[in-house]
Amino acid sequence: MASDQIISTLRTLRAYALAQGADIHIEWKAEDSHLVRYANSAVSLNTNERLTILKITAYGDHKCASANLIVGENDLQTMKATIDKAIGMLAFASPLSYQPTIPSIGKTTVFEETYDPEVEFLPNEEIVAFVNEAVEGLETDDILLSGNFSSGVAVNASISTETPEVVFTRKSDIGITLVLASEKRKWEVNAEQFVSHKRDLDARALHDRLAWFVDQYTAKPEGRLPEGPYRVVLGPAATAEYLSFLGRVGYSAGAMKRGFSMFKEDDIGKKVLSDHFTLVEDPSMLATFPSPVDAYGRERGRRAIFDKGVLTGFIWNQQSADEFGGTATGHDVPNLSLVLQGGDADAARIQDFASLPRDGDILYVPYLHYANIVNPTEGLVTGVSRFGALYLKKDGSIMLPYNVRFTERLDKLFGEKLVWLSRELVPYGTSSTYFGRTPYAALVPALACFDGVNVEISNESF
Amino acid sequence: MTVDWKSQIKRLVDRGAEYADVRYYPKQEEDFMFMWNGNFLAFNRSEESGFGVRVLVDGAWGFAASSDMTSPGETFDRAFANAAAAAARIKRPVRLADKEVLSGRFESPCGEDPFEVPLADKVAMLRDIDSFIRQPGVIQRRVKLSTVRKTIEYYDSEGAEIEKHIVDIFPSMQVAAFDDTGMMQSRKYLPPRLAPTRGWETMDLEHWRLQADRIVSEMRQLVEAPKCPEGRMSVILMPDMMYLQVHETIGHALELDRILGYELSFAGGSFVRLNDFGTLRYGSPKLNARADATLINSPGSFGFDDEGVAAQNRMLIDKGILVGAITSRQMVVEANERGGREIFEGSGGACRACAFYRTPIERMTNINIDPGQDGSLEDIIRQTERGVVLSGEKSWSIGSNREQFHFSTDIGWLVEDGERRGIVKDCAYSGMTLDFYRSLTAVGDETTWKVQYVDNCGKGAPGQIMQLGHGVPVCRFDNVKVGE
Ligand SMILES: [Zn+2]
Repeated sequence: MASDQIISTLRTLRAYALAQGADIHIEWKAEDSHLVRYANSAVSLNTNERLTILKITAYGDHKCASANLIVGENDLQTMKATIDKAIGMLAFASPLSYQPTIPSIGKTTVFEETYDPEVEFLPNEEIVAFVNEAVEGLETDDILLSGNFSSGVAVNASISTETPEVVFTRKSDIGITLVLASEKRKWEVNAEQFVSHKRDLDARALHDRLAWFVDQYTAKPEGRLPEGPYRVVLGPAATAEYLSFLGRVGYSAGAMKRGFSMFKEDDIGKKVLSDHFTLVEDPSMLATFPSPVDAYGRERGRRAIFDKGVLTGFIWNQQSADEFGGTATGHDVPNLSLVLQGGDADAARIQDFASLPRDGDILYVPYLHYANIVNPTEGLVTGVSRFGALYLKKDGSIMLPYNVRFTERLDKLFGEKLVWLSRELVPYGTSSTYFGRTPYAALVPALACFDGVNVEISNESF
Repeated sequence: MTVDWKSQIKRLVDRGAEYADVRYYPKQEEDFMFMWNGNFLAFNRSEESGFGVRVLVDGAWGFAASSDMTSPGETFDRAFANAAAAAARIKRPVRLADKEVLSGRFESPCGEDPFEVPLADKVAMLRDIDSFIRQPGVIQRRVKLSTVRKTIEYYDSEGAEIEKHIVDIFPSMQVAAFDDTGMMQSRKYLPPRLAPTRGWETMDLEHWRLQADRIVSEMRQLVEAPKCPEGRMSVILMPDMMYLQVHETIGHALELDRILGYELSFAGGSFVRLNDFGTLRYGSPKLNARADATLINSPGSFGFDDEGVAAQNRMLIDKGILVGAITSRQMVVEANERGGREIFEGSGGACRACAFYRTPIERMTNINIDPGQDGSLEDIIRQTERGVVLSGEKSWSIGSNREQFHFSTDIGWLVEDGERRGIVKDCAYSGMTLDFYRSLTAVGDETTWKVQYVDNCGKGAPGQIMQLGHGVPVCRFDNVKVGE
């Protein structure tokens, strides 16, 4: 559906709500997703999902209630019935301790800079050809391809009864994860890419990385690392994973006010992390699939959350601001546009970094599997290495370590343990979550080095 | 609008499809209410309707789904085209295990449909529970209630016609406070199944009042408690922790699609290999695990799976030896071929999708541990030299092949010389899966056995969240690494 059609539908629904005398906010979320999934060197699944989701929130005196609906995109009658439902629920809503703010959008904004129609209509044949190129010559009877080629479009649009103005974004994205795994030995290596436009796809880069890793994993000796502290270099996936936990328990005002934060209000202005650590939220960075205006119509700009390790403030969404008396900071968006600024290390690709001279042993961990917060107030996070860890020895040789578990405090990791960051930034993200297509990427240094990271469990095989 | 699903399926078969099925959800509803410190952060009703089509063409799967009912034929065609395109890159044509073609209806047992309960009564129930935990010393209070009702119609090209009507209810409450170091200490309650049914009648306010007093009392003691000591010792897992241990390191590890490498690009694989079935010592002889989709009051029971296969009760681990897996029609055929022997006999009926817009995959049913002969919790404690009783999952992280794990729990009780000592906080334990189950030295009797629900099991790409259950007793494991 074109943006003007969706905007027109939203205005029709708004008029209907106004006629009922209701105060409501309408959010429209649509996705057209295509996923080609690989397993055992074959396409194991090829899916399309076309969904339109409507969320109606009704507001009253210290009350709100919401109704969601997955619906046909032209089914106005059912959409109106959902508005009635939300209004009907409001009568039963329990009083809140605060007055929830209804969005008041001052200006209509249509943002489609990260939309590429070529992604929306990417044919099956091109996808299969692209993946074939990315893994050409690398599969064997034992080394099998797994992965996902996820492409699609996500539309987010919203309007409220306060004004007829609409915030509209349309984003296309392609998220590629390719895994080559040995069926017999059980090792796995991967290569990933996240782009908004088809022109940015690079099968060659995926192939180079996979080929290099397959070489390492077929030629180098394997073994179990002793437990204990290591100098560790993380790839973008692992760094982005740690950053996502920092977002949950580090600088969210709501989490802080609810007691689920490692930092407190009086940490603002204090140096709580390393000098090397500057994390900005920057909606001008298109690689992050940004939203230039938030759901409340607030224009968004670049802002440092940590500046050379100093916490500049918390991020307040509207609900937390309403409940705890803060000021919303313009972050009611499907995803933040996080950029962890690079440092002065030149190495970008692990292929190059592994061949540089080094003054000590280094454990390279590209990816953390199933990481989780052990203790939010401590910022304690645990996770296991996956997809191609390497042990780069001081003498220049490389060993293949079995996967290891770290349990680290984020303030220590991004504080005293952070040694260096590479200059080059790469986007790392996802196409979708359990709750639908939401393209997202953080820009993170290609490599990040930490000292004294403790291996607490070391596997005995791949 | 009514769609003639069977003629759409026939149309695809006439075009050359080897198999096709459709799941039509006339309506799936969820009421979700979430109170935090007395405020409803979520007061939401959601509804979805649509259909998903799965087609096998030249040995390859295609799937398409739509919430738009105006031109269903397009979605059927898209599924067919996806399958035809996928067929260009397959190595082993998909074949489905034979099944008994069934027509039938399943209705989950429900005394009082939660969607017929007035909204005002549901709100009042949550406010009452919140008032039970609003006690001195409690800093954070959370009360959650999710109720689900769905109707699913299923048709396939083999002639199956099935209708399912499922109602479930998932309540919980949690309290938290800070200790003297500023760390949060919390206690929660997710009730085990308290009745033979799955509806509103299972919500007994008096029961919640008693449990509220218990968790608040335990939380107050936690705030004052010392840290759990580190080192190797016995851990005695209460059912509200044992269920997650089983979920993560037996349930997921034994999903046959994971074992065969179908989840390698994200969720992960399994340390289990095909030649392990029938011989691998997974645990001590005290370990008996089963996939039981006939446990009627649990969300892991659904009558027929999303391939039209009837619910079953099958052993997974028999006296410690691995004997079964969680299976679908496609995977059992492939496993038997790749294993070079008849490892599995027919589908285990565990192929489910979380919504009309997702494709069915291997999902846990009710993955249960049989009760043992080692008496009550107190009996087990009496036989324990040094250990800790652990309750309430707080965090979980598992290796990609489910070969190792790290869990932390809300609370622990130290055990020394057969006696329960004081409460300890910040408990965590970790280990290697096989070593851990082989160290199972005590399994509680039927009085300790509880059915716990899981309403948020994530798997698959695109991602799917599934509901299921675990019936588990109190269990003791020896020589486990305890500490941060
Ligand atoms: Zn799970």
